[in-house]
Amino acid sequence: MDKWYNKSGNEGDVVISTRIRFARNLKEYPFPCRLNDETKCKVAALVKDAILNGNSALASRFEYIQMPELTQEEAVSLVERHLVSPEFISDRQGRGLLLLDDESVSVMINEEDHIRIQVMHQGLDLAAAYDIADKIDTLLDERLNFAFNDKLGYLTQCPTNLGTGMRASLMLHLPGLQQSKAMNRIASTLSKLGLVLRGMYGEGSEPKGALYQLSNQVTLGISEEQAMSNLRDVALQLVAQEREARNNLTKNIEVVDAISRSYGLSRYARLMSNEECMKLLSNIRFGIATGIIDKIDFDIINRLMIETQPATLMKNVGKKLSPSERDRIRADVVRSTMLKTNIPNNRRLEN
Amino acid sequence: MLCQSCGQNQATTHIKTIINGELAEVNLCRECAQKLGYNSFFGNFGMDFDKFLGSLMGGNESRTLKSRKRCNCCGSTFEDIAKSGKVGCANCYDIFYDELLPSIQRIHGKTVHIGKLAKSAGSEVKMKSTLAKLKEELTAAIKEQEFEKAAKLRDQIKELEAKG
Ligand SMILES: [Zn+2]
Ligand SMILES: [Zn+2]
Repeated sequence: MDKWYNKSGNEGDVVISTRIRFARNLKEYPFPCRLNDETKCKVAALVKDAILNGNSALASRFEYIQMPELTQEEAVSLVERHLVSPEFISDRQGRGLLLLDDESVSVMINEEDHIRIQVMHQGLDLAAAYDIADKIDTLLDERLNFAFNDKLGYLTQCPTNLGTGMRASLMLHLPGLQQSKAMNRIASTLSKLGLVLRGMYGEGSEPKGALYQLSNQVTLGISEEQAMSNLRDVALQLVAQEREARNNLTKNIEVVDAISRSYGLSRYARLMSNEECMKLLSNIRFGIATGIIDKIDFDIINRLMIETQPATLMKNVGKKLSPSERDRIRADVVRSTMLKTNIPNNRRLEN
Repeated sequence: MLCQSCGQNQATTHIKTIINGELAEVNLCRECAQKLGYNSFFGNFGMDFDKFLGSLMGGNESRTLKSRKRCNCCGSTFEDIAKSGKVGCANCYDIFYDELLPSIQRIHGKTVHIGKLAKSAGSEVKMKSTLAKLKEELTAAIKEQEFEKAAKLRDQIKELEAKG
């Protein structure tokens, strides 16, 4: 089954992926922070049964994972693949995960809330991702009793999620705006619009790989449709600004040089740290989008950005690796993938 | 513990994250957390709780009664919720509605839900939501000059309103 991150979608030069997440709780049980492991397992069994034996075409495509049974690398890799939150793997007792075969849908059980439904799609694709989350939610609502209050909407452990309980997020690649030092200004403007822009990797002013997450912050008193429409409008403006920033930057030979060197290194380096790798891949993505590097599908870069993360690297090799072994294998993975993308040159010869 | 972003203020928000394949915790002060887009509900709650206590210190008669109030479902007091930043159960929202409302208002700017309803929602809310949707469809139908559809929608709306 092809994973969602092996594809690229609408506005794929800037928007890597769309995520819709619903927070839901069962009326009959206190929130997970107030449950012992035994009761957590009861809740997990109820949710698992509701999905796997529910009347859904997707039911047979879900796998149930008992979180305590995973190795640490497998657990961290789930976070690196954006399937679960870091919080979810920090204490795995009593927690379960339902995962769709293409990894586009995950249902976290007993994270902060009893149920977190999450749908990931490539590119900008809010409506379609929402549609799937909505269907799974309706199915669960039929078989379980959700905690719901006519005034406050869906009740959640943290009041920041009250109301719709929906968080819609877009993963954005913003090297142009980052290098133009525009991020602080943009982030503060967005907070006034009820949106949050946050670095995906690292909390500093320059997140690794220039990857950012844009999400709605307000969930009460605003419908799902309105929240998504606001997010989409702002995202499209950011996409336009990012493209303009990229075009301006590529007039600078130093920027073009950095992109070209990154491409070269990706094809020939033998050791590569995680940090260097993210920087190179970000530069290459930037280069593809602006035509400096021959056309390579964005999905190849999207996939490498995930596959070269430390825990996912170890999970794929099937054993624990020292940091220096990881740097070697990471370089191997990137090199072999990038050398295979030699096709554009051949195409050019054929033309 | 100092904030890892500014290195100046006391860290109050602790965020789990993955750094180089390892689970780690980032510690931030209230300002930096907000700047980085993390809702520091702990901070907000603390403020409300201080205010709440302050009003009790004013010699309010109901002081002991109020501060001892416990959720009969999960056993939380408002102090438990304020200190941990975690609401204990669905029932807590009924028991501590008045105490929680100022924080909810501050975070969301609104206090009444609009959007999808669970099956357990009250019939009045369900009716209101159906009406709102039909009216939206009606506006759209008129705009698109689909008059036959609009007439049908208008009848449906009248029927529902008569029932209510
Ligand atoms: Zn700080
Ligand atoms: Zn309670």
